[in-house]
Amino acid sequence: MAARNAGGAARPGGPNRTCQFKLVLLGESAVGKSSLVLRFVKGQFHEYQESTIGAAFLTQTVCLDDATIKFEIWDTAGQERYHSLAPMYYRGAQAAIVVYDITNQESFQKAKNWVKELQRQASPNIVMALAGNKADVANKRTVEYEEANAYAEDNALLFMETSAKTSMNVNDIFMAIAKKLPIGPAQGEGPTGTVDMNQPQQQQKGSCCK
Amino acid sequence: MSDKHGDEDESKKAKMHLKANDLLCVNGCGFYGTPQWENRCSKCWRAHQNEVKKSQDFAKNKSLLSFDQFQERRKSTTESKSRGIKNLFKTSPIPEGGTSSPTSTSPAGTPTRRRDLSPDSLEARKQFTDFLVINLTTAMAQEIARSVKNAVGKISEMKMNSEDMSELVMSYYQYLGERIGVHSLFNSPDCKVKVEDVMDQVEKYISTYRIRSLHWVTAGYLETKLVFKKQAVRDKIDEAISELIEINAKKSAFEKLECLTRSCKAIFEALKESESATSADEFLPTLIYILFRGNPPLIQSNVKFISRFAIPSRLMSGEAAYFFTNLSCALEFARNMNHESLQMEKTEFEAYTSGHLAPPLSVINSACNQAMYVLEGTIETIVTVAKKAESLAKNITNMNGKTDDDLDKMLVVIKETVDFYPTQEYLNMKESIFTEEQETADLLVSLSRQSSESGRGTLSSTADNTQPSTPQPQTDSCINESPLVTAIKEEVSDSS
Repeated sequence: MAARNAGGAARPGGPNRTCQFKLVLLGESAVGKSSLVLRFVKGQFHEYQESTIGAAFLTQTVCLDDATIKFEIWDTAGQERYHSLAPMYYRGAQAAIVVYDITNQESFQKAKNWVKELQRQASPNIVMALAGNKADVANKRTVEYEEANAYAEDNALLFMETSAKTSMNVNDIFMAIAKKLPIGPAQGEGPTGTVDMNQPQQQQKGSCCK
Repeated sequence: MSDKHGDEDESKKAKMHLKANDLLCVNGCGFYGTPQWENRCSKCWRAHQNEVKKSQDFAKNKSLLSFDQFQERRKSTTESKSRGIKNLFKTSPIPEGGTSSPTSTSPAGTPTRRRDLSPDSLEARKQFTDFLVINLTTAMAQEIARSVKNAVGKISEMKMNSEDMSELVMSYYQYLGERIGVHSLFNSPDCKVKVEDVMDQVEKYISTYRIRSLHWVTAGYLETKLVFKKQAVRDKIDEAISELIEINAKKSAFEKLECLTRSCKAIFEALKESESATSADEFLPTLIYILFRGNPPLIQSNVKFISRFAIPSRLMSGEAAYFFTNLSCALEFARNMNHESLQMEKTEFEAYTSGHLAPPLSVINSACNQAMYVLEGTIETIVTVAKKAESLAKNITNMNGKTDDDLDKMLVVIKETVDFYPTQEYLNMKESIFTEEQETADLLVSLSRQSSESGRGTLSSTADNTQPSTPQPQTDSCINESPLVTAIKEEVSDSS
């Protein structure tokens, strides 16, 4: 697939160790959370989302210089009524992408709320990214790039404007997250390292939530 | 034993020798107890400790089933927790609900009346009582039934959040388990059922209560995008529900998770068949809907079981973990669901839940009404069949017309063919006709001769008149129809 990330192609069995990370997608409904993932994982985009696969849970592997990162992407329901259930999803997540729609000011406000909630309740070393989706319709934008960028800088978030439609910045934002993820030094056992990787993370999370 | 008596005093040893029965657990469970544990065995001691702890937690609560205390607790928690309480049962439309006095000892009190409204509940209650009647002595069954009824009624009546409620239910299980456990019937060797079985039934009865009361919540309210008109979608939904129910039949957490995964996959396929997106935005509402539709037995307990006994990593990563989280969320949503989460009026919500009102059968809300859709589908089929029959009738008419035309054409062709290739019969007929014509012609000729002879006699004076006389055309006109006329004429003229 042409849209597939050049540097992100999975190379199983490579010499690098594999680390598995849970990444949770947050954001209002219809901002394009699943489209973003589908673009990243399958390289597909469907205007009307008649996708044939379950897009709620997907995995994708990206290769860094010294490690292979396996993303386990958990989509969440964005409707307001399910907002209170979100902690169950981001519990134990090592990364989160908060998505908003650049043509929808309200979704940006919601995204800010998500960021606040994550800062308060998620694991303290969670890698957070802010994605302003639908950058392909920039002529209808209501959220200025500078505004979002400033907000992201204030809160130490990764920030990119993305477009699932044109695949702009989609792979880049996942790669940026992958680079920021802590790859523990003490796992040379290949696939089993995945489990080792998760354990300390869970414990850290547990200790902060107790 | 022998090493112990060295540091311990003699009294213990003496006791041992005096009465072996004294060493048994005071709960009568058959295991040995120790004095440190107030003569209980380890199990009973732990249970007792829990009991004590809970009792302390529940402020001056001596017996967990004496609901007078619960009533007090309810009052005390009302002020402090009313903000966070999203309990369905608060300010129930039943007038007696909020104010029933703690002394009302009627076993079939408010809860029964409330549950009478739902056929599901009636069925569950019947099953429960049947179980008790079959397996236990009458007195015992009555006692348990009354106790459970009271507990369910009181617990659901109380204003408390779900955590308190689950704690209460748990402590109630414990209490009931202990009470039943000490009963002589269960200790006698000919006991038909185990305590666990009774507990299972009680649990089943209590834990499905909440979902049962919300059976009216349909796909429409949850804004799912399922297209129920499609048979494939309905099939997938059924599959998902049956897998969800199957969870309870599986023993290990792993198998339960497998069932859940299959169920969720079926939901995805149903969404796919509905040509809807398959993101979490659609998946979670659908799962909640499936949960209400299926009302899987002991689902709450199963979720708890999985979360307690599955390998933690299995619940932290992987597909099954994701689905399990979704299921937990769905249950959580069901537990906390109120009028706000469905965006409707509070009174309306309560009326539906208590069964006082039936939800309107609008197109969206009746979306779950499978029977209706099956019916609709049947009607559609009938219409199609009728249309087909109509077109068939038209075709038949066309065919008939065509056949007639063809018949005519065929006759023409036959005639032509016969003309072209005449049969012997036809030839004979032609021959006979020809000879007949010949004879007639001869006859006519002779006749005309006779007439001309007589005419010659009379017209001899007028010399040779080549022109035919006037009577001649008259004769001709008499035989005008005959094709032989010309021939006769020629002969006549020749002869003349």
